[in-house]
Amino acid sequence: MSATVDPITIEIVTSAFRSVVDETFIALMKSAYSTNIKERHDHSTAICDRDGRLIVQAEMSLPIHIASMTGLMETLLAKYRLDEIHEGDVFVANDPHVAGGTHLPDINYAAPLFLEGELVGFICNIAHHADIGGMVPGSMAGGMSEIYQEGLRIPLVRLFRKGELQQDIMDLFLLNARIPDERRGDHFAQIAACKLGVRRVAEIGTRYPLPLIREVWDELIRRTHDRMRAAITAVPDGVYAFEDVMDDDGLGTTNIPLKLKITVAGDRVVFDLRGSAPQVRGNINLPLNATKAAVAYALRTLLDPEIANNQGIIDCCEIVADPGSIVNCQAPAPVAQRLNTSQRLVDVIIGAFAPAIPGRVVGAANGANTTAVFSGIDPRNGQPYLYFETLGGGFGGRDDRDGKDGVQVHITNTSNLPIEAIETEYPLRVVSYGFIEDSGGAGQYRGGAGLRRVIQPVGHDCTFNGAGERFTNAPWGIFGAGPGGTGRFVLTGPAGETVLEVKPSAVAVPEGSSVTVETPGSGGYGPAEDRSAGAVAGDARSGKFSDGFLRRNYPAQMTAQKTPRTEPA
Amino acid sequence: MKTGSWTVGVDVGGTFTDLCAVDQQTGQVALHKVSSTPANPAAAIIAGLEGLAAKICIDLADVSAVAHGTTVATNALIQRRGARVAMVTTRNFRDLVEIGRQIRPRMYDLKADFPMPLAPRELRFEVDERVGPAGEVITPLDMASVDAVIDRLRAEQVEAVAIAFLFAYLNPAHEQAVKARIAAALPGVAISTSSEVQPEFREYERSSTTLLNAYLQPTFSTYMTTLKDEVAARSPGATLGVNQSNGGLMSVDTARDFPIRTALSGPAAGAMGAIHTARASGLSSIITFDVGGTSADVALIRDLQVKLSFDRDVAGFPVRMPMVDINTVGAGGGSIAWQDRDGLLKVGPASAGAQPGPACYGRGGTEPTVTDANVVLGRLSTRGLLGGTMSLDTDASFRVVGEMAAQLGLSVEQVARGILEIMSANMVRAIRAISVERGHDPRDFVLMPFGGAGPLHAEGCARALGIGQILIPLLPGILCAQGLLVSDRSESFVRSKRIAAREENAGALAEMVSAMQVEAEDWWAREDIDPADRKVQLAADMRYASQNYELQITLDALPDIATLKQMFFAAHAQAYGFFNPDDPVDVVALRLTALGTRPALQTPAQSGTATAAPQPRSHRPVWFYGVTPITAPVYDRADFAAGTTLTGPAVIDQFDATLLLFPGDTARVDDALNILIQRGNLDL
Repeated sequence: MSATVDPITIEIVTSAFRSVVDETFIALMKSAYSTNIKERHDHSTAICDRDGRLIVQAEMSLPIHIASMTGLMETLLAKYRLDEIHEGDVFVANDPHVAGGTHLPDINYAAPLFLEGELVGFICNIAHHADIGGMVPGSMAGGMSEIYQEGLRIPLVRLFRKGELQQDIMDLFLLNARIPDERRGDHFAQIAACKLGVRRVAEIGTRYPLPLIREVWDELIRRTHDRMRAAITAVPDGVYAFEDVMDDDGLGTTNIPLKLKITVAGDRVVFDLRGSAPQVRGNINLPLNATKAAVAYALRTLLDPEIANNQGIIDCCEIVADPGSIVNCQAPAPVAQRLNTSQRLVDVIIGAFAPAIPGRVVGAANGANTTAVFSGIDPRNGQPYLYFETLGGGFGGRDDRDGKDGVQVHITNTSNLPIEAIETEYPLRVVSYGFIEDSGGAGQYRGGAGLRRVIQPVGHDCTFNGAGERFTNAPWGIFGAGPGGTGRFVLTGPAGETVLEVKPSAVAVPEGSSVTVETPGSGGYGPAEDRSAGAVAGDARSGKFSDGFLRRNYPAQMTAQKTPRTEPA
Repeated sequence: MKTGSWTVGVDVGGTFTDLCAVDQQTGQVALHKVSSTPANPAAAIIAGLEGLAAKICIDLADVSAVAHGTTVATNALIQRRGARVAMVTTRNFRDLVEIGRQIRPRMYDLKADFPMPLAPRELRFEVDERVGPAGEVITPLDMASVDAVIDRLRAEQVEAVAIAFLFAYLNPAHEQAVKARIAAALPGVAISTSSEVQPEFREYERSSTTLLNAYLQPTFSTYMTTLKDEVAARSPGATLGVNQSNGGLMSVDTARDFPIRTALSGPAAGAMGAIHTARASGLSSIITFDVGGTSADVALIRDLQVKLSFDRDVAGFPVRMPMVDINTVGAGGGSIAWQDRDGLLKVGPASAGAQPGPACYGRGGTEPTVTDANVVLGRLSTRGLLGGTMSLDTDASFRVVGEMAAQLGLSVEQVARGILEIMSANMVRAIRAISVERGHDPRDFVLMPFGGAGPLHAEGCARALGIGQILIPLLPGILCAQGLLVSDRSESFVRSKRIAAREENAGALAEMVSAMQVEAEDWWAREDIDPADRKVQLAADMRYASQNYELQITLDALPDIATLKQMFFAAHAQAYGFFNPDDPVDVVALRLTALGTRPALQTPAQSGTATAAPQPRSHRPVWFYGVTPITAPVYDRADFAAGTTLTGPAVIDQFDATLLLFPGDTARVDDALNILIQRGNLDL
């Protein structure tokens, strides 16, 4: 199609579609029942065209969800001819191996959009359900070795046919999940978000003719694509390699390599992940779509953070990965904890790009999605409870500023739960919550610190499950900077401290003992000797670093300091 | 002339300080506008008061009340000109205010961080104490640890201290004891406690709000003292009220203790002015949009009430406070149009501001702005702004928009119209967020533009939202100052405690209400508010037990539990489209607002030139919808008497705003002298 539509019209028409995905995002958030969706916003919405190309995505959508949506589209369009798709249909899927998903709790929805009687695209949403069945509550713990243990696998199914709910399918969904009432609420929230999107797009269809809308979508993708290609062209041609290792799959495999060779040639970039480890028994494997999501995130973040999120970026992601490897796993590989590996893959991409674009990269972040789950019977009411949280950690040093202490990094950005909420809802006490001393890697710009949170059961014994990463392989510094601290889980009882495994499962926590969760810090940027004396003095004043650490890493700056450091109260 | 009959509203904005005065006995209204003096905002207020008095020949001694909307606190925050502030926390939790919610402000930007807390880590001190989730003391307060902190506060020469302990909203005893100890040891240091600033659940938001408040206390206190003395010297009989973010006035003494309450002082006054305007024109449901130089504020008013929201970012910091629910978008007259790297045209959020301002201001602006686009289309008065006192360089507008047109291969008018349409699209998204996304159909509302640039953009927004009617206030440029004249004095009380909505808890809820009622009585007495003017508003924050966010239910009085639940179900259906009558419901807070009401304003008198059949002062070509300009008559609003009707196309000029009547639109001047436009081309 010729590019006749002007850039003003593209902006205005696109703005209307952006409103639709933002509105469906909010609607889904407000009407859902899962804390994960309501409070932590683990959901996304988008519009794809009838060729399955991503057109617009809600502003707050998560990077990991992009590829699942296009994965669902590929599956759908491979399974049905366009004339087999009708108004009022709603399609659902979650399976990473046969339906384009990335793990089972993320349930994908798509409803066709018709304008002037013609199928033009799909309104899509994806939400992380708090449970999808399987062998453990929450469907997310380590220790599962096959996808069958991780919950209900949904291939692409048509939940609504021409507007009619297929109740038998819904019944099947609900019977296979814990707390079915909550699940029903989340499914209906997703259905309502689809219907809302269908209605809003129809309204846009009354304002703009279909050929114009088509032309705007084509142009939008083309312009984004050209823009990303231009950003790639600005990266010096060359081959950039990097490698890192994952700690542990939770089932006995340790130091699992991720290998990457990036080839930049003109406006193309190829991510070659051959040589990475074979898929592992534990559930940290990445389906190819999750790998693609990490690559798309890194491309946008490193090369053009302001670019629109649409197919134009995805089409720039050329990936070579061996089937059966940890970055392109095959059925029946388990995948629930894939986010830890996605985080590490982003670090690896950044590490590889470092010599090419030194001003845009950062030290390795906490590289994890540290998960802590406490469960038991609440002595106040005799009811079972389950408290699930993922904790942030250090964010790496940058080319002109220090890293950030205690924050979610890269492809996740979920909130913490207030302490006053934790203690009101659960029979738990938060004993402390703060930064870990000396956990930010030394450097011209230091890495951010990890977090320490100590929790103890009140009036009962509870159980702890966790999943950590970078507990044994520290987050590296960049351009000569030092590494950040590693994380760990510790059980402290009357008998003393026990350091737990990286992915501990079903740890008994008796009353009177506590669990310490320590998340990794992050690497710095640039050699420590280039850190200004003022910044080192600030590190001392803040109490985030010990005197010993500072003397060891910044001997010259410390000697130059005249005033003795003051101790905090 | 009667003694003490004038009330003056003073709204201090970034560029101008607006004054609006009314004689409560005769209904006479007077306006004045002076340049703001950011270094010492009180100077502009005094200059404004004196200028106003001279203009209408009154003695300032005849002023009985001054109501003030202020940006002093907000500016001090933005420019980091507050006090050297320390923080005292529960042992093991001094990092809490720095960790925040552990999120990044922008997912794809590796360099964007939320700002660091105003109290650096070395000025955050811990004491031994701990309160639990039932308000019970787990670890008693250790005064020795407090005294150790006091030594550090003294050594560090801090000017202000924020005290924020876990669960202090349930049990403030430890915070109070620490406050008393510090106050005794360090007189002259300002102290804020979280249990006084905002005694509500969620420790991070409460701590952040408390820290901001302490940071602002010394600066704001000095400002308040100066202003109070200056006003007292000229108007000894006048009371001085300061507008709060919830749209009610507080006393100077309260403002000294709680400066953070003024974070949304000006916009809240705008909402009050809009409600007054709507009431005077017999309307109850309106969507307001106030367009300034760099941003637009939009709000939804239903049944003559604006909703309150409780969480908002101020200068990048979260603040939890009752505030009028205003959505702000970076779209104003100075917003810059630019071409992105993919060639798409964008407008804002960067703004030319007041300096250099749009190209047509002739102060060195070289980028096309929204105002320049209005100039190109003939929509802004060619005689300039502010009644002609500020001339416009129209050639400059054509030049900068023309350069962009050449790059895009479009005509200068096409690009100008494109800029305005993208500006509308940005505002429409902000309006949808407070209407459609909260279960309200904007087509059921009347659009009310105000601010200098509001009326110019009303048609574009109304068209995109399908809104049929536009109400333009008599004084759109000065509505915030006018709102100050109608704002009630108010004080908010809250009890934050999770209580199941069940029969056996009816007594506990009633007790909470009566306790707040007692506090309200105290406040009325303290503020010397006439019993006839005393009023209370009651609200309950409710949610399903399994939910995390609350809906606020407005109550006349505390009803029985069954009724309370029914009201919650109705609100849930309105907001989310469904409710479940069987799920358990919690009350998480009860709120009581005590009011000291103010008399309603009379309609201002018509000007001497007003007639029901006004004649145009001139004609000029204006681009409305089509590809060619239409020669439109230009009227002066002062010529309009009540009952005047007009059909578009037309341009209506007034002192600080320009109104457009599009072809097919009809306008009628109502008895309150507001103009109601009935849009003609609803399908366009």
